[in-house]
Amino acid sequence: VTEVGRWELLRAIGAVADSPAAARTVGPALGLAPVSDADHTEVFVLSTPPYAGIYLGPDGALGGEGADRVAGFWRAIGVTPPAEPDHLAALLGLYACLGEATADTRSEVTAATLRRSQAALLDEHLWPWLPCYFDAVTDGPVQALATWARLANHALNYERPERSAVDAPATEPTQGRLPLALRAAPAGLTGDARLQDLVDALVTPVRSGMILTRPRLAVGAQQIGVGHRIGERRFALRAVLEQEPAGALAWLAAEAHRWELRHAVRGTDAASRWWASRAARTRRALGDSSAATARPDLAASDGAAIMEVPT
Amino acid sequence: VHRPAAALGDDLPDVASLRERVSAARAAAEARGETFYQGPSRVQLGAFPPKERWDDWVELSSRAWPRRDERHYVLVPTTCFNCESACGLLAYVDRDTRQVRKFEGNPEHPGSRGRNCAKGPATLNQITDPDRVLYPLRRAGRRGEGKWERISWDEALDALAARIRAALAEGRHNEIMVHIGRPGEDGYTERVLASWGVDGHNSHTNVCSSGGRTGFQFWMGIDRPSPDHANAKVIYLISAHLEAGHYFNPHAQRITEARERGAKVIVLDTRLSNTASQADYWLSPQPGSEAAINLAIANHLIQTGRYDAEFVRQWWNWREYLSECHPGTPVTFTAFQEILAGLYADFTFEFAAAESGIDTTVIAEVASVVADAGTRFSCHSWRSAAASNLGGWQVSRTLFLISALLGAVATEGGTFPNAWNKFVPRPIHTPPHPGVWQDLSWPLEYPLAQNEMSFLLPHLLKDGRGKLDTYFIRVYNPVWTNPDGLSWMEVLTDESKIGCFVALTPTWSESAYFADYVLPMGHGSERHDTHSYEQYDGQWVGFRQPVLRAAAERLGGEVTDTRQVNPGEVWEENEWWTELSWRIDPDGSMGIRQYHESRARPGEKLTVDEYYGWMFENSVPGLPERAAAEGLTPLEWMRRYGAFEISRGQGRQHVSEVPASELTDVFVSPAGRVYTSAPPPAGPNIVPMGTPPPDEHGRRAAGVMIDGVVRKGFPTPSGRLEFWSATLAAWGWPEHALPGYIRSHVHPSELAADQAVLLSTFRLPTQIHTRSANSKWLDELSHTNPVWINPTDAARLNVRRTGDLVRVETEIGYFVAKAWITEGIRPGVVACSHHMGRWRLRGHGEVAAGGMMATVGLERDADGWQMQVTARVKPYLSADPDTARIWWSDTGVHQNLTFPVHPDPISGMHCWHQAVRVRPAGPGDVHGDIGVDTAKARDVYRAWMARTRPAGGASPDGTRRPTWLMRPLKPTTAAFDLPGDRAAQ
Repeated sequence: VTEVGRWELLRAIGAVADSPAAARTVGPALGLAPVSDADHTEVFVLSTPPYAGIYLGPDGALGGEGADRVAGFWRAIGVTPPAEPDHLAALLGLYACLGEATADTRSEVTAATLRRSQAALLDEHLWPWLPCYFDAVTDGPVQALATWARLANHALNYERPERSAVDAPATEPTQGRLPLALRAAPAGLTGDARLQDLVDALVTPVRSGMILTRPRLAVGAQQIGVGHRIGERRFALRAVLEQEPAGALAWLAAEAHRWELRHAVRGTDAASRWWASRAARTRRALGDSSAATARPDLAASDGAAIMEVPT
Repeated sequence: VHRPAAALGDDLPDVASLRERVSAARAAAEARGETFYQGPSRVQLGAFPPKERWDDWVELSSRAWPRRDERHYVLVPTTCFNCESACGLLAYVDRDTRQVRKFEGNPEHPGSRGRNCAKGPATLNQITDPDRVLYPLRRAGRRGEGKWERISWDEALDALAARIRAALAEGRHNEIMVHIGRPGEDGYTERVLASWGVDGHNSHTNVCSSGGRTGFQFWMGIDRPSPDHANAKVIYLISAHLEAGHYFNPHAQRITEARERGAKVIVLDTRLSNTASQADYWLSPQPGSEAAINLAIANHLIQTGRYDAEFVRQWWNWREYLSECHPGTPVTFTAFQEILAGLYADFTFEFAAAESGIDTTVIAEVASVVADAGTRFSCHSWRSAAASNLGGWQVSRTLFLISALLGAVATEGGTFPNAWNKFVPRPIHTPPHPGVWQDLSWPLEYPLAQNEMSFLLPHLLKDGRGKLDTYFIRVYNPVWTNPDGLSWMEVLTDESKIGCFVALTPTWSESAYFADYVLPMGHGSERHDTHSYEQYDGQWVGFRQPVLRAAAERLGGEVTDTRQVNPGEVWEENEWWTELSWRIDPDGSMGIRQYHESRARPGEKLTVDEYYGWMFENSVPGLPERAAAEGLTPLEWMRRYGAFEISRGQGRQHVSEVPASELTDVFVSPAGRVYTSAPPPAGPNIVPMGTPPPDEHGRRAAGVMIDGVVRKGFPTPSGRLEFWSATLAAWGWPEHALPGYIRSHVHPSELAADQAVLLSTFRLPTQIHTRSANSKWLDELSHTNPVWINPTDAARLNVRRTGDLVRVETEIGYFVAKAWITEGIRPGVVACSHHMGRWRLRGHGEVAAGGMMATVGLERDADGWQMQVTARVKPYLSADPDTARIWWSDTGVHQNLTFPVHPDPISGMHCWHQAVRVRPAGPGDVHGDIGVDTAKARDVYRAWMARTRPAGGASPDGTRRPTWLMRPLKPTTAAFDLPGDRAAQ
């Protein structure tokens, strides 16, 4: 694959997520159909906000430890972190800048430093979440942005093999190791989780191994045959579980299995294996919970796993 | 190795074609003048409002948070006026209130590329400054008494026009003078003075950059370098001032780019400057020894054969040198090389180490790094050493010797003559050269002075060499800026020497207090100018404009006079000069008015729209086409975008062949200078450069013969780079005709045992010379100037801790300042920034800037002048609530008052370094105290004048000055003739 435009393509992919205006100017170059402001907001503000902190942080939320870790990377390479250091556009922009600077420098020492920085950025802050994130966007209702997500995954995939081929293990001490965010991730789901913990874990990607978006929850509710209550994801998920626990758990287990396969097919690198393992664990835990709901003793208990009454 | 998952689908385009398509789309969008990545965005780490949305840019009000209160802005470009870099600014003009909300960078500006230093955004402070001058004022009491009355512009204009008209009518042309502080434009004021027929342009340059300029001009006939830092392999700077002051932003960003690519930065600065702190090699030499280090490096290149012999053979004037200085030697390059090998043989690393105090191995290592740079060696020297030492001009001359040895002249990553990277558009009217010579600016003692001997004006007036009827200062503060400011004050208050003193200024200053008229002029966002500067290998022109006027016009309004949109009655200079010129010559009979008349509407005044409209239509190549592509006139385009890049990649202009059409009636001198009787090509770029003299038949110098081809060459008499200067040799200084080393007036051999060198030239990158006192943000960042003292000196002097007071004694007085004990300065040297110590006179009420000006008492007794601080700055109530939040009281000390004049006998540059004695302050000393004996200042002046070799004796041809040298507002050739009584000497 030719090197021409390698960094520009990644920068352009990031720009689409940046703002509706950016998507309007850059989208056609990527061959995307026009995206309305409302659709852009639906995908990048409501359904799948493109921030690493959400997908790598221990709470599955904006900011916090996940974002701080990314900001630390900016500082470590001597760049003042921007206002939203973990935004997809900022990270791909930085990745592109590092690539261009490497090509630009005449110093081998500087080039090696830049290559290491870029590799670290990919290993620690891009690859651990972006493929999953792009997959989640493909699940969304906006066709043009689903196409964008597939293109993005396609382009990102080329970064892995090329970099791996270039960098020998000796210069890549972290290669093969799990990124810090995944190593430090909280424990995965267990079958005896209580309802609130179950809901929290399911909407936290690094705990569940899957990205449970609002549109996907709506699909689930429809498939289970219960009402989809409009609201924050925890609220909507809890409502589904309360209406039809067994069906909901079964659907969630199937969803975890779907993500498990997605992760597995992505590759055999440490991060992908970790995600697959985490999704498998969720699938198993949900299977256990599903079995538990068949036990009247548990189902009748107000302190039992999934039957807490909302307060 | 992982392969893309098949599940991603075969329906997607392949990555290679996607990459190419996106790159092509971006290139196409940018070629159309559009923004590909709309922002402000996260995509490129720095992004700007896309220009397509500059008419209605929406931001949320930060103060309204958490409400989403939208503010709508018109974004209007202008050019910063707070140093000479001319960086682009973008004013955010609120569409509702029609006020400027903030200034940010203009991404369309080719030099600054959207980036600014602290001084740019601080323009907002200047225009909203509660202490600024808003109305024309006339003094109501004695000069300097501090009493003023508001008058109308008509009253001021009529009074001044009458004085000037009378002076011109009576042949007193030399009694009119306009003294420029911050120029900020390219030649407008000079043309106004030319239209009056006066040689009345004075500048601040001989207290600033003329030492640096001199060294470059004697080499290449052009007095400024244009280093291509961005592409350099080695960047060599003898000017922390440069990269931390002027040109800070455009150069700093390019140096940063070069460093990212692996370039090495070498900084020679006795003080640990911001630039030095970022260098790969920081050399802290004994002040004044910089040229010795340069020559040791040059000698290394020569002795090791690591110089570009072919470049030297082609482009140095070695034939002329051999013929004149080695008459018995065959004029061959081999013979020259043999002589060259001996010329600098004494400048060993050991010699340089002994002079500079820097270890031999360090100098040797730096020399090796320089040698490795080849033609990617960029260098700069501006103020710093060249502005500080007797013979400082040899610092830049020896620096360029290194470039000339490496062949790193106008190469990628090398150093260009600035005229190739600067574009000065030809204006609508070009008045003729004045036919008079101003001896108060260009005295006979200084035939080779690079610029006006401005800082000697008080002494020349005291000598009785002339007087001034009407003296304008324009954004200039001579009492504060120059050495020996109290001598300035003495003449400014003497009405027999200066009949009428006019301050054209946006702010109060130490000089304006003594004026007869204080006339408010606009800041950077309130005036029109064009400006171009050398900042990379390309040419651009920037457009400064009153942003409220441009915003009003974009929103459909009409503005016919800038005062309609400026605060109070603040005016802009262009309209002011036109109005004044019309009133001097109301009926056109004096021949002045024609240069200020409309060409489209004869008999009417020239408007700024017509002036700049004509210029952009006729004198800026490519601009009309670019504007037309967007459906705009050239003026509209410049009002919208603020700057235009005319060309990029000028390359080696000296190598270009002279077209055959220019070669008629050709004469080639034995040294290869080519003369022609064909007229010079009419070009739109009138950038200043040397004007090589014609041959004896009046044919102009058109080129130089290089290996049988007539090439453009350099604007020197020889057409080549002048390693040997026939000019210096002929005008009385043959011993300095080659790049060499002149021991400074502060060389250790000149110092008494208890003296140290005081470095006073460095500026702070967050200060604007005399206009910072009106910039609250900058005041808060920097407001004092302690004396840097090395810990070993502090211990020896018994200065125990930082903050202790010290008394610094100069030749003519003393000042009291706080000590800052730091290893950032070498032992035996102290340093103090010249930026601080602003003051206002006790009894002047509210006149002056309260945030940064201490109130002082100024008394004169038998010992001279005594200045004592009577009140320090403190919080005060004003229209700006921030003045109630001033938390500092220390504004430093005005050290320049205690310096006598030190005019270099060749360049005319004031040599700023001082030999001083530093001791702990006595019990009666108070921070900021100053004592000065101006009688002693006269003695020092006379002693330095005795070093000169006046034109009356040294001129080889009966002229005052070599006609080919650059000179602002050059008079006619006839005016160069020595006056009759001197010509015979």
